[in-house]
Amino acid sequence: MSVFVDLNLSYTADNNRLRALIETAAHLGFSTVAINYVFEPTTKKKQEIPAPKPISALIDHLPIVQGRSRPITVLNRLTVVMSDSSHFRPNAAEYRGFDLLAVYPTTEKLFHSACMLLDIDIIVISVTEKLPFFFKRAPVNGAVDRGVVFEVCYSAAIRDSTMRRYTIANALSLMETCKGKSVILSSAAEKALELRGPYDVINLGRLFGLSDADAKEALSSTCRSVLLHAETRKTASGIVYTRRSCQEDSPQPDLCDAPAAKRPHLAE
Amino acid sequence: MKVWTGGKQGKQRWRRRSNTTPRSLLVCERSSFCDENNRVSSQVEQLHFNYKVSVLLSDCSSAPSHLESLLTSFSHFYLVRNLPLHELLDKQFLETAVYQGNVYGLSYRTRLDEDNCVALMPNGHLVLSLDKDSFQVLGFEGKTSTFNYKTKNRYVVTVDLTDGSMAPGRQAYLRLLTGLTSRLPLQMDFLLSHHPGGGASLQALLSRYIWSEHKPEVGTCSLTHLPCPDLQSCDPHGLLEWLGAVDANISRDNSSSSFLSSLVCPEPKRTVSRALRISICGLLLPHDVQRLIQELRCYLGQCQPESWVSLTVHGFVDSPVSWGGKEHGVLRGGENFYTLFIFHDHTYHLHLAAGAQDTCPP
Repeated sequence: MSVFVDLNLSYTADNNRLRALIETAAHLGFSTVAINYVFEPTTKKKQEIPAPKPISALIDHLPIVQGRSRPITVLNRLTVVMSDSSHFRPNAAEYRGFDLLAVYPTTEKLFHSACMLLDIDIIVISVTEKLPFFFKRAPVNGAVDRGVVFEVCYSAAIRDSTMRRYTIANALSLMETCKGKSVILSSAAEKALELRGPYDVINLGRLFGLSDADAKEALSSTCRSVLLHAETRKTASGIVYTRRSCQEDSPQPDLCDAPAAKRPHLAE
Repeated sequence: MKVWTGGKQGKQRWRRRSNTTPRSLLVCERSSFCDENNRVSSQVEQLHFNYKVSVLLSDCSSAPSHLESLLTSFSHFYLVRNLPLHELLDKQFLETAVYQGNVYGLSYRTRLDEDNCVALMPNGHLVLSLDKDSFQVLGFEGKTSTFNYKTKNRYVVTVDLTDGSMAPGRQAYLRLLTGLTSRLPLQMDFLLSHHPGGGASLQALLSRYIWSEHKPEVGTCSLTHLPCPDLQSCDPHGLLEWLGAVDANISRDNSSSSFLSSLVCPEPKRTVSRALRISICGLLLPHDVQRLIQELRCYLGQCQPESWVSLTVHGFVDSPVSWGGKEHGVLRGGENFYTLFIFHDHTYHLHLAAGAQDTCPP
């Protein structure tokens, strides 16, 4: 097993609230959290994708995780709410500032393309309304094969009892299709009180149809594989990554134990 | 890839699997100390790392003097901050402490299901329970944990430091030493203890780092009018639940105004007018527990025939090893403890309990 991770803390402009969120997460035992910037494009006017604030600007000293001796790690994540296929622009430059990319598909066609085609890490499952479409085996298995995970958020269930029913119902239908694989559980907490400790979330996972070990994996090892998947998105097949050098001419690729056949040819 | 047969039957099969309750194991034994084959002392010796001992003495209001002096004479232990692991392979430490079979070591403030944990057993076995990244970086041979579920996330490296191949200068020793110094320089807080008389062997290691000496914390509490079940006929689960409630000071009235606890004492019950609860916390060694059992048996010999004593020894939740060096894991809770009920006529009931990620206690 690996460390406990919560990949969805809602971003607020209020710095104090965000700081309280991070401190509560560290106190509860989460070793890594991700601040989620939600981007909902509308066709009416052109909107800018929010740029992530640097972590050092948000909080000076990262709190130490309870029971361990390391400070908590904070990452940035972008969730694009898709109601049209043009809302997610592949390879947009603005996405580079974020460590994780997620989409929230609202129709079946978008869900299918998100599972099979889009270059993302997380697909968010709706928990605040009745599922607009059914989960089919084919796209779900395709996503599992690609390493894309499905996310179920639990803080809506804490806020409201109707949302609780939707959360559990939607989560159960997801688990029937994906058999408990490639699922992560996270809060979508806006306040520190909406966070729950890792073992409590594991218990909650049992309500969602996961077994004990599955729920624990959903909070630890599956999240670890999402973070690794996100890192490899910036590389070529996970082997080569490029870094802009200080010189004026074209960037040199920085090779990290790449076999000769896979080394890219330098542009003239 | 499993072929999933769809339809109602498939759905039912899935639901049944997810409803299984977490596994826990309870091994019970009833015998007498007079029997030569009784397993109490061997069981006590096998659980190396004990965190807490709770004693409940019936019909007793204050601890007898022999017992008190024994409790204060439990072995002291040391807490070393940020000990680099390669120090455990230091030649002088091996010769003075490990080869003599003297030293117990356990990593402190490391969670077994999240971090890397280390245990050094008195028989010279060093056990490292590592997560995937650390194991792959270390580059020493090890096995996957027996409790890995779908993905292989935890690996256990067991090294016998007394074996010839791990002698200083040999290839395996050098490989592990290079691994722990240059590839994976692990540093963690460590609890160390030793058999009586072996204190000097640790001084050289301790002098190089920040360390503090601790003695086990002893707490006593006398109880009056304690409802207690019939120990001979009560079922083990109910009995252990009652004993745990007494130890944790949970009310067993089941009053309608209390929402916290609905525990009740199992029937048939009788009321014991007075009882004494003692708890000792720290890194406790098996030989201290043996001495405590002997002392409790002597004390019980002088008491009335209906008196009894219960002794519960809890192992560390985050220790990578449990009974006899077998692997231990934490799923939702990492309980591994045993409870011994001793009666006036030298008979005993021994209950060994383990959690979901443990092999069966011996």
